[in-house]
Amino acid sequence: MKFLAGENIAELLERLSSRSEVWAPRELRGSGGTVMFERWRSGDPLDLEHFASISAKDMVLPRTEKLFGFSYAFGGAAVGNPFGTPAEPAAGTPAEPAAGARTAGESIRITAAEPAGNVVLFGARACDAKALDVLDALFGQTEGKGYNDPQYRARRAGLTVITLACLTSDPACFCSSFENGTAEKAGSDLILYPVDGGFLAEAVTPKGESIIESGVNSRDKDDSAREPGDGDPETGEAASGPTLFEESGLEMPVLAVTAMVEGLEGLRQKLAAIFDDLEFWQAETEKCISCGYCTYACPTCHCFNIHDEMRGDREGERLRSWDACMFHLYTQETSGHNPRPTLAHRYRNRINHKFSYYPENQGEILCTGCGRCIRGCPVGLDIRDVLRQAVEASAGPGEGGDR
Amino acid sequence: MTTVPQAGVKATDPLVPEPAKVIKVIAETANIKTFRIAFDEPSLMAAFTFLPGQIGQLGILGAGESTFAISSAPSGRDGIEFSVMKTGVVTSAIHELRAGDPVAVRAPLGCAFPTDDWRGKNIVLVGGGIGMAPLRSLLFYLLDNRGHYGDLTLVYGARTPEDLCYAGNRCDWEERPDLDFTATIDTVCSTWDGCVGLVPSVVEKKAPSPDNSVAVTCGPPIMIRYALESLEKMGFREEQVYTTLERRMKCGIGLCGRCNLGPKYVCTDGPVFSLTELRALPNEL
Repeated sequence: MKFLAGENIAELLERLSSRSEVWAPRELRGSGGTVMFERWRSGDPLDLEHFASISAKDMVLPRTEKLFGFSYAFGGAAVGNPFGTPAEPAAGTPAEPAAGARTAGESIRITAAEPAGNVVLFGARACDAKALDVLDALFGQTEGKGYNDPQYRARRAGLTVITLACLTSDPACFCSSFENGTAEKAGSDLILYPVDGGFLAEAVTPKGESIIESGVNSRDKDDSAREPGDGDPETGEAASGPTLFEESGLEMPVLAVTAMVEGLEGLRQKLAAIFDDLEFWQAETEKCISCGYCTYACPTCHCFNIHDEMRGDREGERLRSWDACMFHLYTQETSGHNPRPTLAHRYRNRINHKFSYYPENQGEILCTGCGRCIRGCPVGLDIRDVLRQAVEASAGPGEGGDR
Repeated sequence: MTTVPQAGVKATDPLVPEPAKVIKVIAETANIKTFRIAFDEPSLMAAFTFLPGQIGQLGILGAGESTFAISSAPSGRDGIEFSVMKTGVVTSAIHELRAGDPVAVRAPLGCAFPTDDWRGKNIVLVGGGIGMAPLRSLLFYLLDNRGHYGDLTLVYGARTPEDLCYAGNRCDWEERPDLDFTATIDTVCSTWDGCVGLVPSVVEKKAPSPDNSVAVTCGPPIMIRYALESLEKMGFREEQVYTTLERRMKCGIGLCGRCNLGPKYVCTDGPVFSLTELRALPNEL
């Protein structure tokens, strides 16, 4: 395995940033210790010790993203105030507008969103990288029941993930509950294992290999349209300086083992068994205040809203923004009916989506055990306790303890 | 900003709608209008196909889009119709539209009624209020392919005569010898000399045989509930009964997360479900 000296990290990021945006974890100034993935610029400090508060999912699903722009070409009457009170024709009287009116109005022009550029995500953890792999199962599809998200796929294709392996874990971490735990490689292009004086570097994908070989990611700026999983083209460009990666005989460090939730096998059936036990879900969500933090901090939560923003009366954008299944309005229908009217309903859906529905539909658990929802919850709701109690409750009365 | 040919954008991104125009507005009731729209791009209009039960997103750029059943005939070549009840922000904006006004449409979305599987069977349609919209499209399809189906029965009800949609079609449906059509209203009314009674009880009185039959119901939730009870009482089994669901939707392609019933998404797995399928799903209607 190759070795990257700790003092060469800055030079590596420097080289990477000549061709890509680089995002890396650092402490926010004046935040008193809040670490976030931020756009890295030459000279910026890094924090490779602490865990970033919010996941890196906005590398592929920005919190607000333009879907397309639009404009109205005025050929006739103004579009009118779309929120105004209309003058109603008499009820029940079929109104027959003038024939030929079809060409008299305005027309719409739709303009595509700017293509995504290349991004290097440096210092992600295995749980962040795996989350991208989990999201690929839904957003990366090009066929199926309409699943087709070209903007996601373009961002994903332009993204290179350099993961920092975890030698220690935080009390809220629980990735070891899942198959590979801290040794998970899915979603990473290159993994850095901390060792004395630096890092051992393991390439997982051709993108990762090219970084070790040339010290930079070899993807072109204009290569954003490629599909994930496509091979990497050789750019023929020489590395900007001698290689930063040396041969090394150092041994692999021992990875962390986190807290675990036991009994997750067969969880889908267990959750189905307690689906109608609304009292269980009420008890679990008693202290929840429906703030939605867990969904925003989560690396795999991906629900979104779509909304239009106008600039003046003839131009605008259609945007999509992160939404949260914990919000009352998320499923509220115009009639006032809400299929998930209480917190208990909404949290039940959130847990089932992560551990039952998504696994059933996409073959992946929609959780990587990063623990962010636990660390940041303002009322101390711990998803691990909920899972443990769900497992217990599904075993039936008599076996389940107090909850 | 890159300008892309309209068709090209759509071909790659299902979240990007097609520019279209309203070509006709029909006021059905005090708060329901039917909008016939046509894509600006004639080749798209010519190539557009859908099957009854499928849905679409009709919207005004700047105001937003909402999901509606396509209520026109799949065989229709001169536009796509959506029947819209004025309820919220987007539907109020849509109700302001006049012929010639620009709209943005994403259609068709979702799954259709399994009309191929129903060939050779008798079909009973049970509709209430705006719930007639998808059934209208289905009825057009069945009438267009009349030879493939057995007896056709339609019971369509609304609160008052003024709340019944599709006056333009009802005369034709009443006159057809190959369709048993009953329009009904909830309570006696001086301007109505037709059938009076709640839809489920009218269906029970008509008592279509469940033998070799399929029943399809759509309407207000309370009507659906009693219609299902009536149908079961009459001997219809779960697998003979279909409905089409409504949910708050945004993306229409199974990504944004809100319209699920358990692991199924109403926008892509539905909106059409058999009662067998529905009863296997979590009860979160």
